Amino acid sequence: MKTRYFTRLLGPEALAVALFIVFLFPFFIVLINSGKTPFEITQSPLTFPSDWAKIPQNMALIWTSPNVQYSSSFLSSVIITVVSLVLLNVLSSQAAWVLVRTKTRLSSGIFLMFVAAMVVPFQIVMFPLLSWFRELTVLTGIRLLRTYTGLILAYIGFGMSQCIFLFHGFIKSIPLEIEEAATIDGCRPAQTFYQIVFPILRPIHATVVVLNGIWIWNDYLLPLLILGKGNRVMTIPLAVSNFAGAYVKQWDLILTAILMAMIPIVVLFLVAQRSIIRGMVAGSIK
Amino acid sequence: MKRILFIVLAVALVGAAAFGQGLTLMQNKPEIDSMLKAYAAIWTKGGNVPMTIKSVGGGTNIDLGTQLRADYAAGDMPDIFVIAGIEDYKEWAAIILDLSGERWVKDTSVAFKTGGKVYGFPVAVEGWGIAYNADVLKKAGVDPKTLVSYAGYKAAFAKIDSQKAALGLKSVVSMAASIDMGWVTAHHNFNSLLSNGLPYGDLSVTNDLLAGKVDAKRLSEYADWVELLFKYADKAVLTTGNYDAQVGAFASGQAAFLHQGNWVDPNMAQAKVTFSMAFAPHGSMAKTTDGIFVAAPSFYVINKDSRNLAAAKKFLNDLVYTEAGNKYMVVDAGMIPAYKNINLKPSGQLSKSVQAWAAAGKVYSWNQYNFTNDFRDKTLAPIYNQFATGAITKAQFIDLMTTAFQGLKK
Amino acid sequence: MKRRRQHGAVFWLFLAPVLLAFLLVIVVPFFLGAYYSFTNWSATARAGETLKLIGLANYARILKDPSFLYSFLITAIYTVLNMIAINVASFGLAMLVTRALKGRNVYRASFFVPNLIGGLILGYIWQFIFNNAIPSIGTALGIAAWANPANLLLAKSTTALLAMVIVGTWQYAGYIMVIYVAALETIPHELIEASFIDGVSAWRRLRAITIPLTRQAFTVTLFLTLVNSFKQFDVNVSLTAGGPSAIFAGRPLYGTELLAMNIYNQGLRSNDMAGGQARAVVFFVVLVIVSVIQVALNKRREVEL
Repeated sequence: MKTRYFTRLLGPEALAVALFIVFLFPFFIVLINSGKTPFEITQSPLTFPSDWAKIPQNMALIWTSPNVQYSSSFLSSVIITVVSLVLLNVLSSQAAWVLVRTKTRLSSGIFLMFVAAMVVPFQIVMFPLLSWFRELTVLTGIRLLRTYTGLILAYIGFGMSQCIFLFHGFIKSIPLEIEEAATIDGCRPAQTFYQIVFPILRPIHATVVVLNGIWIWNDYLLPLLILGKGNRVMTIPLAVSNFAGAYVKQWDLILTAILMAMIPIVVLFLVAQRSIIRGMVAGSIK
Repeated sequence: MKRILFIVLAVALVGAAAFGQGLTLMQNKPEIDSMLKAYAAIWTKGGNVPMTIKSVGGGTNIDLGTQLRADYAAGDMPDIFVIAGIEDYKEWAAIILDLSGERWVKDTSVAFKTGGKVYGFPVAVEGWGIAYNADVLKKAGVDPKTLVSYAGYKAAFAKIDSQKAALGLKSVVSMAASIDMGWVTAHHNFNSLLSNGLPYGDLSVTNDLLAGKVDAKRLSEYADWVELLFKYADKAVLTTGNYDAQVGAFASGQAAFLHQGNWVDPNMAQAKVTFSMAFAPHGSMAKTTDGIFVAAPSFYVINKDSRNLAAAKKFLNDLVYTEAGNKYMVVDAGMIPAYKNINLKPSGQLSKSVQAWAAAGKVYSWNQYNFTNDFRDKTLAPIYNQFATGAITKAQFIDLMTTAFQGLKK
Repeated sequence: MKRRRQHGAVFWLFLAPVLLAFLLVIVVPFFLGAYYSFTNWSATARAGETLKLIGLANYARILKDPSFLYSFLITAIYTVLNMIAINVASFGLAMLVTRALKGRNVYRASFFVPNLIGGLILGYIWQFIFNNAIPSIGTALGIAAWANPANLLLAKSTTALLAMVIVGTWQYAGYIMVIYVAALETIPHELIEASFIDGVSAWRRLRAITIPLTRQAFTVTLFLTLVNSFKQFDVNVSLTAGGPSAIFAGRPLYGTELLAMNIYNQGLRSNDMAGGQARAVVFFVVLVIVSVIQVALNKRREVEL
């Protein structure tokens, strides 16, 4: 047994370890340089910091710094991501359900339209979106630009095609008998959906949350256009780019800010590794 | 389930709550961002509307112009913003307010005027030349007074270069020419071609170039100057360095010269620099050009459609006529005031140098803003970058520049 | 309730929110954009400018614009290089990780993590590494080539593009690897065992068994890498910012400005929204055509099996 390991697998294992180091090396660089002064960073980017305590100090600095607006951006990112995910999940699943259960030409037509929209890249709608949102603001009085509302609306609009597609496929496989039984028991359609069908969709909920969560949390271009830089509401990528792209590049603070931006998602990943990977695989293969 | 939806929608709508009645100012000098924000807080406390400051700038990628256009498309234009010159003015002409009747107009000679009306409030007087480390030059035996022509610089650079090790230098001049720092080459250095050696306000070369006419001799001498700067610059800083790297190289004593302006004074203070420094003219011509480039390069303009016109005007007036405003401009931000009534003087060495040259009347104008941002950033900056990385020769550099200018002929 | 033949209140009520979002966010801007691309639309307040139709002028202009053509060219090059690099690397990683290695789950997680971080942040990290860390390693280990500032990857446009491929590979390899792993794990064990018993060489095994049985995964991975590379923006912004300059058709221009960035810059920096929109339309059409071709080709090969 042991010889088998040494002859067949030691080579690959060593290779894997080497790759492991190569892959995580950049994060290592970010970590050790978060604790140095800018001068030290440019002089010796590879050495360990002389004072590890500087890292939490820098982190506190970034958290409270009005230039970076990190704490408010963090909160904004959380609000936007969570609200968008909840709405995407609920609204897409309920729409997919009625589309599946209503077998008419209109229904399939609408579904096809949604699916076709999955190929539309953001670039082709980003400029008109700006002026159109401004028109809407004038027409309805609801501020869409530079607000949570507009951004969340945009995420729902861009994310729903894929979500409906995923839910649609899954709902088709749910036996009608379950729903029929519920109706016989006196459930109204809304109840049937929310109390019976919705919970069954859990695997897809997970996939939707994972795929869209990662996208929305890390998204740069959409917030850049809708929220703009340096305004009251910013997401973490915007805050980091606002900070990191400035004249005076303070690498110590930039790297610390990057470190802090990465931590939430890495932690989440370590905790929910399996579901995340499973979700992404499932979503892609569809 | 429905309850959650409700809460979620409520939260989302809260985010759409009406925005405050304050003022917004957008400017492009990140180095004074914190000082300006501090002053804005003081100003607001003094019984005025809330003031928000936004600072954009740094690389040519995220410049003020881009942000303004995005804001305009979003219907979110700031109340006060910055323009640099006639091309910027033309872009926003439809919404810039006429300020000819303002109190401060009579106290400055460098307000932005066009068509006989005043539109721009000069933010500060700025200047640049080639900043030099006086201590290093003394040790090397180079007399700053010889730095007034191409030949003078050539000799000085060669002399210092030969003593690099003894002087503790990594390179002679700290110059940046990456695309990100295109404003150093295609805005500032480019101006040497436009106004060095000409009377102040003389636009003859500028207008010729705008019409597609290129003075081959002048361009050739200018190309020699660019070549000299690139030759003696630290290659890493030149091709990939950002502002911090470029200024840092000079501040830490690794380079003897710096191609920047007096706005780096706060950076020098932050780096706790102890050596003496001053400006010398650019040596972009064979003849002697004894002066540096001084002007009021940026102007605050007021958005006609602002909901707070009175407050915006008051903000500008207060900068000039209140003690707090003056203190912010000169002492905190280290800027040279553009107003006759302000007697405070900035403490930075380079600002003092600018004022010395200005007092002696040895100044040349800033003409680069007569060319569009697009032309400078997208057409000229890559040419400088190619030359800096050694991808093209001086002859090709001259050719490409000539072609670029000829393309301006409409 | 089920199999209705008419559309009741529930149908429309449940559908309304997403339909509204869809119309507001995708449909209206899409057609509005198509319209604008035929006008002189722009984003500033020049005195006396009004919106008017100018026909195909924008399209004619962009097809003659060297920066757009160059952008197209390097986006194509980048996409091809990226697709090859990512798929080769991730397939290799997948093969590695499906063996009975001790630290299997740890390796798998570590290869996957870069994908969780947004492209923007990755670009800044790698910019720091390329400009500061690598020269430092070079000085420390005595590798002169690395320490020489003239060799900085981000200093020349050709190598900067390579740098982008490196970052792109690092970013996506783990994600694509996971898809390959799922596919590899569906290969019946008996087949592999049998091939061992028969003394088949590793290379033969790869060609005859592994690759054919994972064809379906290839359709997905090639599609994903194609689309993601073509649309690359975030890493472009932070790693190279359009990059060092290059000369194309006798014109100096931004050397690593991929299409997405070209569109953005044209619209907002050069203040030519109509031109930017026209580019976006061309971008969209090409993307749709290429991806449809790719999927069709792949699907056909799947069926052949």
